[in-house]
Amino acid sequence: MKYKVPIGPIHPALKEPILLKFTLEGERIIDVDVICSQNHRGIEWIGMNRNNPVQSIYLAERICGICNICHPACLVMAIEEIVGMEVPERAQYIRVIQGELERIHSHLLWAGVAAHELGFDSLLHYVWAVREKVMDILELINGNRVTKAIMMYGGVRRDIKKEHFPKIKEMLKYYKEAFSKLAKLFLEDKTIKMRTREIGILKKEDAIKLAAVGPTTRASGIKKDVRQDMPYFAYPDFEVKAITPDILTGETIGDTYDRIVVRLLEVKQSIEIIEKAIDEMPPGDILAEPKIIKLLNQIKKSEGEAVGRYEAPRGEDIHYVKLKSGFEYLYAWKVRAPTYINILSWRPMLLDMQIADIPIVAASIDPCISCTNRVIVVRDNKEEILTADDLHKLSVKKTRRLLKC
Amino acid sequence: MNAEEIMQKFIEAGYEAKLQEREAGVRKKSKKKSLWIKVDKEKIRDAIEYLIEIAEEFPHFCIISASDEGKEIMLNYHFTLGYGKFLEEFIVNLKVLLPKEDLRIKSITNLIPAAIFSEREIREMVGVEFEELADKRHLFLTKDFPDGVYPWRRDEMGVKETNKLYETWRERK
Repeated sequence: MKYKVPIGPIHPALKEPILLKFTLEGERIIDVDVICSQNHRGIEWIGMNRNNPVQSIYLAERICGICNICHPACLVMAIEEIVGMEVPERAQYIRVIQGELERIHSHLLWAGVAAHELGFDSLLHYVWAVREKVMDILELINGNRVTKAIMMYGGVRRDIKKEHFPKIKEMLKYYKEAFSKLAKLFLEDKTIKMRTREIGILKKEDAIKLAAVGPTTRASGIKKDVRQDMPYFAYPDFEVKAITPDILTGETIGDTYDRIVVRLLEVKQSIEIIEKAIDEMPPGDILAEPKIIKLLNQIKKSEGEAVGRYEAPRGEDIHYVKLKSGFEYLYAWKVRAPTYINILSWRPMLLDMQIADIPIVAASIDPCISCTNRVIVVRDNKEEILTADDLHKLSVKKTRRLLKC
Repeated sequence: MNAEEIMQKFIEAGYEAKLQEREAGVRKKSKKKSLWIKVDKEKIRDAIEYLIEIAEEFPHFCIISASDEGKEIMLNYHFTLGYGKFLEEFIVNLKVLLPKEDLRIKSITNLIPAAIFSEREIREMVGVEFEELADKRHLFLTKDFPDGVYPWRRDEMGVKETNKLYETWRERK
């Protein structure tokens, strides 16, 4: 007897709008179908038809709240390549530090979510309390915890100053001490081991065929990391090495447990990178061209195409950009976020697993579906779609109604 | 095999190829290399088979991007090769031009299974028909999205009416 179980479009275990349709035989999963069309904000369209390239940096920042350095970084790198803009050395170091701070907070956020999916909520609260330390540093150096608006063509918008260093160093010390405790909690706990070992296995061959990226592919034993293979910014100075789970456990299985190992080790790696970057940061300017109008004219005159690549916390992020001389917007812009390609790995991971494994296996690739812009209302067995425009009208109406009262 | 060797192999096989370079790093320098190869639309599967054959490891598929070039649609198949080795990775882009009167191309999912999402996306966003693509459902657009409207096109098939949320919206009485 076969059953069909839909999970989503909005489901507490996934939190973001995506629909998974499972075919089950008893408890065993025999087929998975992923339906992504729950939301599309048309960000690429806006960049190609409405925003000038500088506005598009901030738009790219809003593709994903957590990856708010990764997407602008990709866009900025691609355009700098087309225009042939030189970036000051100090700015390259600041970009590295910002990127690694983001990795720490993203991996800790994920670790908390993973604990929650396993029903280990005290661990969730502990990990997120630990994560607050890096959020405080982000606020200190950027003035904001989440969307930081730091990237700019030819540099960064804010410097990391000498007076910030003691606080950053204190944070690094704090994480070094917290790391051993986190590693013990996640890797030695009997329940976590039972729920994640041999669960949701992605074989090395599948990871290669399905072009998986980031910790998902590294946990399957592929040493693929853009920071190592094709370094950008100041990364050649750091000689980053891709992390695979065998470094810690001596073997690579490619299961959910291994993906936890990889992410935890990457937090440690990020701490080391920041430490080195702070010690070796060169002095100098942080921006090649501070005048925005001049910069926009320079971009408008340029023509060409380039691909920007960045190792985001979830995996490789890639933007293709094409500029045409005299054209005000980006002529073509294609964003590929890591989850786009990693979703394909869900199928081999979930087949033959049990229903109860769905949340943690789905969460193990650290999916990021981004936010929604429309709502589907089901009334009298009929589907009705409300667009962003409709929602906006409803929202304005409600405000007016409340004002009248 | 490095980027120059792959380029040489493609030139020997009769393709037009060029190399684009960009320096990275502060104290230690490294080069980001992107290879751009022009491919006829009939030859897309041959070119990818050739790439699989000459590359040391299975090419890592990134994405297909599209751009409206007036009378033609340009597709770029982005791959990376040489991953897993320090400083040795490079980008391979296969560039295909499709005339708008005949927007058909062979699906590459039989060679690169990971391309399925990207082909479905290009199909709905620019209206390119992928022959032998197994799954032709919408990927990101809703299932009731009108036919014949392709958001990434810059001609009369593109999006005409959009919401003007960025302009001041006033509630009608």
